[in-house]
Amino acid sequence: MNPLRRWAPALRVARREAVRARGRSALVLGMIALPVLGVTAADVVIQTAKISGAEAIERRLGTADARITLEPGITKMRQTPDPDAGGWSGDGGRREAVTGFTDLETVLGRDLAAVEVVEASQMVVTDVGVADIQVIETDLTDDLTDGLYRITEGRVATASDEVVVNGALAARGFGVGDPLEVRNGPTLNVVGIGESTSVRGYPLAVAPLGSFGLRTNPGSHRWLVDAGGAVTWDEVRALNEVGALVLSRAVLLDPPSTSQLDPDIQYSTGTDDALIAVIALVVVMALLEVVLLAGPAFAVIARRMQRSLALMAATGATPPQARRVVLASGIVLGAAGAVLGVGLGLLVAWLSLPVVQRFTDAFLGPFDVPWLHLVGIAGFGLLSALLAAIVPAWISSRQDVVSVLAGRRGDSKPSLRSPLLGVLLLLGGGVALAVYGATTRQNGEYAIAVAAIVAVLGMILLVPFVVVGLSKLAGVLPLPMRYAVRDAARHRTRTVPAVAAVAATVAGVVALGIANASDAAKSEATYTYALPMGQASLTTYRGGADWDAYRRVAEQFVPDAQVMPVQGVQGNGRAWTDVVFRLDGERPFLTAYGSRLGTDVPVAGADGALPAFVNGIDEDERERAEAALRAGGAVVFVSENVTADEATLVVRAHGPDSGDPVRVTMPVAAITVNPLDEAFRGVLSVEAAAAVGVEAATVGLVIDGAEISEAQEQDVQEALAAISPSLSFYVERGYQPPDENLIILLVLGALGGVLMLGGTLTATFLSLSDARPDLATLSAVGASPRTRRAVAASYAMVIGVVGAVLGAAVGFIPGVAVSFPLTNASYIQDIDPSLPGHFLAIPWLLIGSLVVALPLLTAAVVALATRSRLPLVARID
Amino acid sequence: MNAVLQMTGVSRTHGEGATLVHALRTITFAAYAGELVAVMGPSGSGKSTLLTLAGGLDTPSGGTVAVEGTDLGVLGHKDRAKLRRSAIGYVFQDFNLIPALTAAENVALPRELDGVSARAAAALARDALADVGIDDLADRYPDEMSGGQQQRVAIARAIVGERRLILADEPTGALDTETGEEILRLLRARCDAGAAGVLVTHEARHAAWADRVVFLRDGIVIDESGSAPVDALLQPELSR
Repeated sequence: MNPLRRWAPALRVARREAVRARGRSALVLGMIALPVLGVTAADVVIQTAKISGAEAIERRLGTADARITLEPGITKMRQTPDPDAGGWSGDGGRREAVTGFTDLETVLGRDLAAVEVVEASQMVVTDVGVADIQVIETDLTDDLTDGLYRITEGRVATASDEVVVNGALAARGFGVGDPLEVRNGPTLNVVGIGESTSVRGYPLAVAPLGSFGLRTNPGSHRWLVDAGGAVTWDEVRALNEVGALVLSRAVLLDPPSTSQLDPDIQYSTGTDDALIAVIALVVVMALLEVVLLAGPAFAVIARRMQRSLALMAATGATPPQARRVVLASGIVLGAAGAVLGVGLGLLVAWLSLPVVQRFTDAFLGPFDVPWLHLVGIAGFGLLSALLAAIVPAWISSRQDVVSVLAGRRGDSKPSLRSPLLGVLLLLGGGVALAVYGATTRQNGEYAIAVAAIVAVLGMILLVPFVVVGLSKLAGVLPLPMRYAVRDAARHRTRTVPAVAAVAATVAGVVALGIANASDAAKSEATYTYALPMGQASLTTYRGGADWDAYRRVAEQFVPDAQVMPVQGVQGNGRAWTDVVFRLDGERPFLTAYGSRLGTDVPVAGADGALPAFVNGIDEDERERAEAALRAGGAVVFVSENVTADEATLVVRAHGPDSGDPVRVTMPVAAITVNPLDEAFRGVLSVEAAAAVGVEAATVGLVIDGAEISEAQEQDVQEALAAISPSLSFYVERGYQPPDENLIILLVLGALGGVLMLGGTLTATFLSLSDARPDLATLSAVGASPRTRRAVAASYAMVIGVVGAVLGAAVGFIPGVAVSFPLTNASYIQDIDPSLPGHFLAIPWLLIGSLVVALPLLTAAVVALATRSRLPLVARID
Repeated sequence: MNAVLQMTGVSRTHGEGATLVHALRTITFAAYAGELVAVMGPSGSGKSTLLTLAGGLDTPSGGTVAVEGTDLGVLGHKDRAKLRRSAIGYVFQDFNLIPALTAAENVALPRELDGVSARAAAALARDALADVGIDDLADRYPDEMSGGQQQRVAIARAIVGERRLILADEPTGALDTETGEEILRLLRARCDAGAAGVLVTHEARHAAWADRVVFLRDGIVIDESGSAPVDALLQPELSR
């Protein structure tokens, strides 16, 4: 019999069954379609957002044939077909003649029409001060630039006193008709607003050539060129020989093979191995998830068909023929789910493009559907449905015909083999590999990743054992829970996949959560404070500072704060002085550089008091320090305990009037500090400063005593920028966890929640449909209609809690293990021995919410979504 | 004396138009405390429908069903459920025990659902199991018992907590002769103790245990034996 005839009856039965049990079919379709939808939508959005060379041509080239860039000092260029993406490298050197436009025409052997494009950044005057913007000078009226810039309001700038701004700059207060004033430059009229087709988030202004008076490097040019035809790869190479970088339309549309590139540049076109590994891991996990979630559904389908299959067997069908019927439902639902998922995924992608656009700076390309990928994704959906149907198919082909026909429900007793294997995998494979991965020097992450997968598999084998064990202890539970636990244990084929899916998800989330939290803990602990929390500093790296003006600015925008001048040894500017302390003639114990307050060695006030901004010293040490200062000596900061009363100051002046170093020995107080907290080398008293011939000057301002908001910080920056470009205003805000940390945690939590909800809902509704006879009995015996809800919620709780607890426990294995290579901070201990060499932070809130709150929430959702009326039938069949 | 179960002019139809089926046509039926009434008739005569209406598992299309004076028709789902927990006991032909619960838990079910504490309900369950003679099987699961034992558990569940009305739908259908007789003996004992029993059966020898037999065919009562309720045995002047 040819295969089609063998499968035809099975497919027919599967199709009819699927239509008959609409609710269950919808559930399975959803299980398969959802991941397919997600992956499809993501792939389409990514493909659309990725502006590959060919798609973005107008955005970068307008209507030109090529874009040619010349830089002085580059005599030979090596480039990839798309230098913006792939890279380039150039050799420099002196040339007798600088390459010019006519040389390009000579190389190409024909006349070229060109429009020059000049880019630079400029400072423009805003309401508050001065802002940095990007500026492009080019002729937007020329055909060659069509496509580079899209005008949305007003018109193109045509005269040299006109300018067009983009949305980001318009938002700063430059609308059509407003003036745009360049600091120390011309004032231009804004005549239009538009968008650059490649840059969205940064303020940008475009004007005709010469409007801004941009002074670019002589010999540096960029042209959009009309070469009267294609610029081939050979011509590009020829232009490279004279030092030109070429972006050619023809080459982008038909790139040469890697072998035709200059050998030195071929390395930069390699693919990203790590990315491929991650993608493979994600695909495997996703497949596992779908199989585990759809598994219970197919198990119930198989059970429904049990009687029919037993009758078939009783009338002479063979086990393969029985299997075929269950597998056929896998094919039918898998194919339907895959097609549905792809279709909906395309719709979702199309709908979400405007939303994605709002959040990215770069423009998205045309709607790009990677059909080959989609076929693969659909195949993945079909494959997962088949895999999910295999185990129930196998079980149903080997069932005990007699007991089925006699109407006995429930699975056979569990074997002992699987739990033993599970323990072996979990401990031997999972834990052992994890320990190895944590302690090995290199590439421990791969061992830990494998350990994670092995541990999850081992745990899956243990789930039946756990569920059965739980049912034995269920006697003390209230009725709905007792019933749910025991029923779950009796129908393991349905329960185990759901619990395993929840557990696998939770394990992954917990492991990643621990890794993330440990990494963040390390970053936080090793964060070095430049200033005490909340303090701000104002410094300059040039001489000739007008400290009164700066103080006025600070006081204007941060009115509640105290502004104190920092007196110290001038450490910046054209003339600077280096002060080094030597104890007992030895090298100094502490060398600090880069204090945020403009000096490494401040000078105390005339009364000998320690300046207020010197921190990190205990009260009693402060006494000692001030005593030394009052005595005309100095304070030295050391990192180890030192008992020295005297030190030699070595002062070396650098700059135009440098002389020999001055050495003076004087009494000091040596104070032990934490090197990560203290940024000064020491403090001089006024007498000590005079003794070494150093003049104390104001080197910076300290702003303290008030909280400085981010808006105030930006205002101060702009106001200071208006006065002088070399000022630095820094506010110590402590360790700021990067935004991505929070986003990662949220995404992990949301993912865990969605998968848990999905798995629990599936299994619960299947269990309810399976338990219809028991629910009818409950009703006949007098259970209130609410009982159905209570039973549904109990099923959900059992699956959720067992899955979450198991998953969290297993997730600790790779999570703790990976924190070792991740937070290896031995180099920190060299600097500060008080810090631990390894950080482990457990995100208890995340774990608690997964194990406790999420199952409760899931149970509540299930309870709300369940019909509360019990089935009312007297004759149950 | 008031009837424990009083059905007046009760009818039940299924479907409509061409598929209209009259399961019961305006029958009047009563069961009194202390008596066991047998309902007999060929299949399709409406016996089971009568029982489901009596137990509040179904609502009549016409007429009233009253249990201990309360009209079931005016009660909502919750109140009818309460009645099934405390006043009415139902024995099914295929036992309908919950496989996930032990025998004792199955028997304790109505009481537990009524809010009685698990311990107290367990004690009542054991009493009921002792009444039916299988208290040693209290902690076994239904899968681990024979048909006869399961049916005894089902009867225990129907009588636990002093129910006043016991409805049995062909309780011996799946059992062998000897076990069947045992079951009926239990029912008879219960009714002698004061409950009202309605027994649906198609075997005359089981009907012989009853005080009164009602014959149904095509949804109407066509004959009835025993012209007077049991009280008549004590007070000759009372008649139907």
